[in-house]
Amino acid sequence: MISPTLQILIIEPSFLIREGLKTLLSQIGLAYRIEEFEFTVENIPKLIQKTNPKLVFLNPALLSDKEYFNRLEASLSEIIFIGLIPLEVPLNKQSQFDYLLNVFAPKAELIKSMESILSKSGILIPDNDSGTLSDRENDVLKLVALGLTNNEISEKLFISIHTVMTHRKNITRKLGIKTVSGLTVYAILNKLIKAEELKGTIDN
Amino acid sequence: MLIHKDMKMADVIHLNHHLLHVVNRFGIQLGFGEKTVESVCEQHEVSLAFFLEIVNTFHDSSYFPVDNMKEFKAGMLVEYLHRTHQYYMNFKIPEIEKHINDLCLDNSLEEEIKQLLSNFFQQYKFELTTHINKEEQRVYPYVLALENAIETGNNTDELIEKLKIFSIHDYEEDHDDVESKLFDLKNIIIKYIPTPKDSRILNVILHEIFELENDLNNHGHIEDQILVPIVEKMEKELTARIQKNVQE
Repeated sequence: MISPTLQILIIEPSFLIREGLKTLLSQIGLAYRIEEFEFTVENIPKLIQKTNPKLVFLNPALLSDKEYFNRLEASLSEIIFIGLIPLEVPLNKQSQFDYLLNVFAPKAELIKSMESILSKSGILIPDNDSGTLSDRENDVLKLVALGLTNNEISEKLFISIHTVMTHRKNITRKLGIKTVSGLTVYAILNKLIKAEELKGTIDN
Repeated sequence: MLIHKDMKMADVIHLNHHLLHVVNRFGIQLGFGEKTVESVCEQHEVSLAFFLEIVNTFHDSSYFPVDNMKEFKAGMLVEYLHRTHQYYMNFKIPEIEKHINDLCLDNSLEEEIKQLLSNFFQQYKFELTTHINKEEQRVYPYVLALENAIETGNNTDELIEKLKIFSIHDYEEDHDDVESKLFDLKNIIIKYIPTPKDSRILNVILHEIFELENDLNNHGHIEDQILVPIVEKMEKELTARIQKNVQE
């Protein structure tokens, strides 16, 4: 459902908030690598260059009025900035962030906002894969369940062995069944094959 | 939370009741009174350090056995692993089998479906038994022979021959298929078996399977993370000694 390891930068003085943020991210199921900084950072662009993150969580209180990170700099335009707001944040500061996350929000709301931020920024790709098998996967499954080898399936369906293997991987992922005998049980339960057919192939 | 020697044994079970089976494997039964872990272990002549490592590994799978694990005698580990095998074969598997038999008496389920489930479980049982027998008959005696040879300084020719052709790594590899079957069984029950009239039996079977799986994972974890390194060390030591003897 998600892209490979995500580089994340957290700039927040509170240890508890940093830990909580990490817990939240892992509950969403993100694979991430985090760099954490607890104090005001003189030069945020420099820090960003060094850590090269995709997401930056930043406590706006750390930005003094003078400090300004130039979002328009080309190197930063790809990065998503999320403000951690413990208190009211003046509008001029709010506008520097792509999104804001209220650290006082209850758990369900936090997860919802986080997921919405992540999907809006294209990091979390919703799982459209309903998990039902395609027609082709069903064809492959039937033959696997009947005990045919990858080679035999490839010949029978006129597809490459590589394709057979891809189908098998997807079948296992969707059904949660890894072994051939497990797939056979599935196929009979779902009336894709009949138990009698199976006996036939074994006898042959 | 880490389990430590000054905790009451009763509190250990309160903390995680799944540990009861593990505690039983040390010959320790309920009725702890106010005794601490330390005093219960003493009373049953169980190594406290070993007991703590085992229950902690079981309680928290991210608890990684520290170096002191390597100091344990292989014989102690083998004894524990042997007892978990007994628990599976004499208790857990028959228990699940009994529930599956009960399910087979339920007339609301098609005969074919009951057969499929029961056959699949029998296949699993067969594979698990084969795997366990292999460990009991080949791996554990080998481990004990290694330990004996190192302790006494005597190595039999038989052991020398075995050392040449066998390594503990050879057996590490084939946990896989047994695990997959149990994994499949869970999904088949959760997703695909039609609900019988009395759905509780199916729930019980599923619950038992989860417990068995959890226990097996821990068993495998102990084998791979603790037993294998200890045996590797012994293999190396003995091989070095034999080579030295040959040179002399």
